[in-house]
Amino acid sequence: MCQHCKDSSAPNPSHFEEGDGLANSPAHVEMALSEYNELIQGMRFFDPHIHMVSRTTDDYQAMRKAGIVALIEPSFWVGQPRTGLSSFKDYYSSLVGWERFRSSQFGIKHYCTMGLNSREANNEPLAEQVMEILPLYIYKEGVVGIGEIGFDDQTAAEEKYYRLQLELAKEAKLPVQVHTPHRDKKRGTERSMAIALEHGLDPSWVTIDHNNEETVKSVLDQGFYAAFTIYPFTKMGNERMVKVVEQYGPERIMVNSAADWGISDPLALPKTAALMKMRGISDEAIRLVTYQNAIDAFGKSGQIDVSDFESGLSVEKTEKFHGNSILRGGQQPDVSKNSLVIQ
Amino acid sequence: MSDIIKTTLWEVISLNTSETESGWLIEKGSASAIELMTAFVASPRFLTKKIVSVSQEQEKKLMEALSGFSITGWSLVRTARVWLLTQLDDSDKNVFIKNIETLFDTAEMNELVALYSALPVLSYPERWLFRATDAVRSNMGFVFDAIALHNPYPSNYFSELAWNQLVLKTIFNDKPVHFITGLEERENENLALILSDFAHERWAAGRSVAPNVWRLVSKFMNEPLLSDMKYLFASGQPENQEAAALACADSEYAPAKALLSTYPEFEKSINEGVLTWSNLEFTDLNTYVPTLQR
Repeated sequence: MCQHCKDSSAPNPSHFEEGDGLANSPAHVEMALSEYNELIQGMRFFDPHIHMVSRTTDDYQAMRKAGIVALIEPSFWVGQPRTGLSSFKDYYSSLVGWERFRSSQFGIKHYCTMGLNSREANNEPLAEQVMEILPLYIYKEGVVGIGEIGFDDQTAAEEKYYRLQLELAKEAKLPVQVHTPHRDKKRGTERSMAIALEHGLDPSWVTIDHNNEETVKSVLDQGFYAAFTIYPFTKMGNERMVKVVEQYGPERIMVNSAADWGISDPLALPKTAALMKMRGISDEAIRLVTYQNAIDAFGKSGQIDVSDFESGLSVEKTEKFHGNSILRGGQQPDVSKNSLVIQ
Repeated sequence: MSDIIKTTLWEVISLNTSETESGWLIEKGSASAIELMTAFVASPRFLTKKIVSVSQEQEKKLMEALSGFSITGWSLVRTARVWLLTQLDDSDKNVFIKNIETLFDTAEMNELVALYSALPVLSYPERWLFRATDAVRSNMGFVFDAIALHNPYPSNYFSELAWNQLVLKTIFNDKPVHFITGLEERENENLALILSDFAHERWAAGRSVAPNVWRLVSKFMNEPLLSDMKYLFASGQPENQEAAALACADSEYAPAKALLSTYPEFEKSINEGVLTWSNLEFTDLNTYVPTLQR
């Protein structure tokens, strides 16, 4: 999400652009895949922020294999500005249509949050129209919140639509997923929280996303959920994440990948869980920050039924609710990536 | 649309809902169009996630009112959504069409399933033809199933071209062709010839064809199709041989009868009623696995 990347040498200008860059990134840990699989054996993960529209079927297969059973896809910017209302409409429809189906084919339960992202809130004539159709989407099945909304440049227009959408969330009784700005992050985060409280939102219904060591304390102290995005090079590394959990404990903290069209990692959760396990963090704490806390936060929408995925998203079960209990419904067959022969 | 459908749908719903749920539906069913449409969208937030139980008598009533219309296996939400659509004011054609189009344009996957399930009972049925063919184009399996399987709309309204696409895509996607309503009534020569070409492509790739699809060729048996039958008999695969035998038995084409008579054991079990197409009505097809057929 980088419209104004200043540092052209940044290896990943996608979701995060500020910050600690390569120089400060932790040393790369080489670990055999089998070793890593062993550490997370039997764990299951819920990624509360990942943009699957930009990911491949290889990612879906790898995620399922690594134990990711459910995810939330927040609506966001698509890398370039949309020029009309129909693009928004089609994008929102894809989040509850094709992408949801695609995910189900890989045995992963797909939820989403709906919202007008901060960047495009600056195109006011279009933003007005988007606000008119947004109510059509927020009540849909599997929509677990309003998001990702908040500040980017921290303009007046961004504030206006952030406030309007907080009101919408209140009216619809939906949790909120707040994107915090890349630049001037600390003040932007404080301002986002202050406005949410000013509108009378219960902070336990609001997840403040993309935290770091500098923002987390205030977010937790004020009663919000604090989400951390593990995103290579430009944002949180998972070694730092381990330290955060060591320092603050697992309560109201959640980890996500925010994987998108930049160099990001859809396996950020299982990898972080493995690292936590290596560093001696308890299984229960790992479960909370990589699974349960996200379910608690977004389950307030009433749209998350854990029985849909806790023992794996069975295709039969999905189909049952479409009255097709006898059909295969098009589950993707497992294809060996190591075979030279393609049948 | 027949009132019997509306009342039978409601009968099923009222027997499958709590008082709160049915009260909510009654209120929304008589509300303004916009409120009813919002309820259509929001119903999973108010209704239990479950499959409705339908009595044989209720199924019979629906079938009699509209041949091929069945709600067996539907979820409560799907049933309620279809019922809500039957309550939507259709007195002004343009307004009604605009409202339904709005629901289509903003629908998520399960809403699409409900909308396509409702097509056979919606007013102005010919108006939904484009939407219906669009569902056949869908890659969302559940959406495709909602129009293609157990739905009387396509056989009543589709052109031959659109119908053949629907049948072919069902076959192509390994879905059970015998779940298509009106399959026999809409058989046609073009479809039979396309199926033969399709089978040749599959065989060239070392893949197979669901044996059940050969039921669609018997009326149009000719020399090229007869050579397909010979190929099936020679495949050594019992299901293929049974399909060829049944297709020949159903055919009036003398050389097909002659071919069948060279396989007396199949002829006998067909005559005795032991072998019928229902023996080949599989629902767990995987014709892409190359080892199924040699």
